[in-house]
Amino acid sequence: MAVADIHDEVAGPSRTRGGFAPLWGAIAVAGICAAPLIAVAVVAMFGPWTDYLTHIAGTRLPAWLVNTALVGAIAAAVAGTGGAAAAWLVARYAFFGRSSFEWLLALPLAMPAYAAAYAWYDLTQAAGPLAGIVPTVRGPLGAGLIFGFTLYPYVYLLAREAFAAQSSEAYDAARTLGCGPLEAFRRAALPMARPAIAAGLALVMMESLADFGAVVHLGAPTLSVGIVRAWAGEGSVADAARLALVLVSLAFLVFFLERLQRRRARQSAASGRKRPARRVALSPARSALAAAFLLLPLLAGLVIPLARLGWLAIHAPLARDLASALWHSLLLAGLSGTIAAVLGLTAAYALRTGRVAAVVAARLAGLGYAVPGAVAAVGVLALFGWLQDGFDALWDGPFPVLLTGGIAGLLFAYQSRFAAAAIGPAESALARITPTLDGAARTLGARPLDLALKVHWPLVRPGALLAGLLVFVEVLKELPATMILRPFNFDTLAVTAHNYASDERLGSAALPALLIALAALGPMVWIARQMTRAERLVREARG
Amino acid sequence: MLNTTARWALALPLCILALSACGDGGEAEGPGEVNIFSARHYASDDAVYAAFTEATGIAVNVIEADGDLLIERVRTDAERSPADVIITVDAGRLYRAAEAGLFQPAGIDDALEAIPASLHHSDDLWFGFATRARVIAYAKARVDPAEIQTYQDLADPRFAGRVCVRSSNNVYNQSLLAALIERLGPEAAEAWARGVMENMARPPQGGDIDQIRAVAAGDCDVALVNHYYWARIARSDNPADRAVAEATALIFPSQQSGGTHVNVSGAGLAVGAPNADNAREFLRFLLSEEAQRAFAELTNEFPAVPDTAYDNALLEELDGFEADRLPVNTLGENAAEAQRIFDRVGWQ
Repeated sequence: MAVADIHDEVAGPSRTRGGFAPLWGAIAVAGICAAPLIAVAVVAMFGPWTDYLTHIAGTRLPAWLVNTALVGAIAAAVAGTGGAAAAWLVARYAFFGRSSFEWLLALPLAMPAYAAAYAWYDLTQAAGPLAGIVPTVRGPLGAGLIFGFTLYPYVYLLAREAFAAQSSEAYDAARTLGCGPLEAFRRAALPMARPAIAAGLALVMMESLADFGAVVHLGAPTLSVGIVRAWAGEGSVADAARLALVLVSLAFLVFFLERLQRRRARQSAASGRKRPARRVALSPARSALAAAFLLLPLLAGLVIPLARLGWLAIHAPLARDLASALWHSLLLAGLSGTIAAVLGLTAAYALRTGRVAAVVAARLAGLGYAVPGAVAAVGVLALFGWLQDGFDALWDGPFPVLLTGGIAGLLFAYQSRFAAAAIGPAESALARITPTLDGAARTLGARPLDLALKVHWPLVRPGALLAGLLVFVEVLKELPATMILRPFNFDTLAVTAHNYASDERLGSAALPALLIALAALGPMVWIARQMTRAERLVREARG
Repeated sequence: MLNTTARWALALPLCILALSACGDGGEAEGPGEVNIFSARHYASDDAVYAAFTEATGIAVNVIEADGDLLIERVRTDAERSPADVIITVDAGRLYRAAEAGLFQPAGIDDALEAIPASLHHSDDLWFGFATRARVIAYAKARVDPAEIQTYQDLADPRFAGRVCVRSSNNVYNQSLLAALIERLGPEAAEAWARGVMENMARPPQGGDIDQIRAVAAGDCDVALVNHYYWARIARSDNPADRAVAEATALIFPSQQSGGTHVNVSGAGLAVGAPNADNAREFLRFLLSEEAQRAFAELTNEFPAVPDTAYDNALLEELDGFEADRLPVNTLGENAAEAQRIFDRVGWQ
């Protein structure tokens, strides 16, 4: 305990003073990301007040809150245990199919949760092919499971990296001291990976809280349904914004708990990569068991819903303009992923300075993730409206540039929505760089920029790639902002899939959904390979 | 890797600028185009756009998004909005767009004479170009159609545990209740909603087609659905879908008492329409025989222009019912009240 305390002191806020710390740039980045959320807050504060909130508080709000808690808890439980267990197996054991599972396990992230919900409901409802065999996937339990199985890769990816980077000394010591494998895992390996797991869980929970499509379809209305209802049913954007702030507060709570975890587990930052663990070979029987266990999330989150959608697609007319939708999706996702990787790193650096302004700004940027897409889109729209008014005033007349209907506006909206997905991994990656490393490099005469480019970059590159990848996939799936802000005649795969699905033509929605998964698959495989290759090189270099 | 990254960092802002310039290009107004903001996404609409372009040479630019988002975008862009025509699938949304000042009178009164007065806005701000009926699907094997004549019957204790219906987030349910508020008064409408809630066989889940499937599978005996969903599965190539349709049938309720509730797909001229003349031409085209046929044949919607000839035997069979002649604008006026009633009775 004393050791950890000392570490905490060393790794405290002052740890990078004089290091590479682009504070003001980072605050600007974070500010831009947080702008839509601030716009939502302004709308909430200055919008007209009605008695709608009292009406809601007395009628549906309790049920929405209960559902929100249930859905979030179930999703977190499934994604947390499943994701961490899968990561542990893949990082520490050698078994049949391991190297395939290593990247396959990331793929369910390519499946939009609402598409998985549609497919599973269709399979298990009264007239469905699995009726009577599997209970109908519905209600908070069904929705929680769907989120757990489609979002666990967040936990898996972050935890796998953490486990792989861990020195095996603590675990080995625990085993030597008589702990069983499970006990040693719980007491030695798990605490060190906890920040990564918590970061993944925070993403899982925020995304399940902000979902609308899946929870409505499965009959588990959460607070985000209430937000859309305030808007669509009552016609009150201001009340929707107010309820959105309640949801953001919940997300802040999740965030806060995650930070608490990270602080408690800071010793992991100092453990470094002294001696990466050798993978333990499993017996054939245990190999089969491990493979069977890892197959489960793949089947539930990806293979079965895709198979159902594919089967339906065979009987349905082809969706139109799929090639251009695919191109638009790849373009937007590629650009967004690249920008997000840069922004995520910048924000992570700002956080590293420990300055209050930077921390507040970056946390605000991260919160954008929990705002339901439709409301975030409204925030972006409100913001663009004000900016446009400002231009008009400067221009002394209607300013010709229109912020909506351009790709720049869309890219901006994506960053505000998904910055959290990029900041988390970048922050975890940066946490691995110890203050002593900075100090050593500085002593050897490295200037701050050298330090960042020559010392930090090789170490944070996997994290930056991961951040970019996560945002790439997110943008592929993203709906409301794309629907509202995109230019004329500019559809994406997600928009096409949603349009068909919302008109109950699952069959025609299937192929675009399939293409989303396939489009995510390519870069995912490539990056998973890159990351494993880098790991292997490190291993070989260290013997 | 480093150099690549640095190059990317330089190239990206330029790419984005170039691309957003492209994106904004959609708003450049030429003489030969019309910009449509639509909440519909049907093959019939593509056919109508193509036919319009062929007939007039006017190019059609489209953005499809859900109704509320569309309205919000046009509102934000205000006088700068490139929108010429706004289309949504629900009278409530059209009402809200009109309230937000997004429409101007199109001045096509002569064309509007072709449709019933209840289907257009009194100030010519928008009109319905196709209608959809909210009807009751029932299990042929377990329900005698004589048992159920009106929407009110769904709330009768006879149907306890026998009703399937989707969530009240759905705008079709909201508009039906809005119509009942007008017909029966708010108290009776609330009692109806409560009665249906208590009769539900299961909590609201899934879409309209899922309700029909549940009826066919025996989970419930009756369900509230839009007629074209049933028509779609009845005309499907998939034998399983057709079997579901064959096990069920539709009742057009309240034939003796005010008529079956209908909602509209509607359109209006946007207030700042940069291509107003083209937009007017397009709005007229929506009521042309060609467009009206397309809606009936491709989407199974009822044409707004009575006596339109179309080639869809199944729809023809369903057609000819007595529709509620309530001005559809009323559905929008009562929408918020309807939502509150659903909240109060706990219809999730």
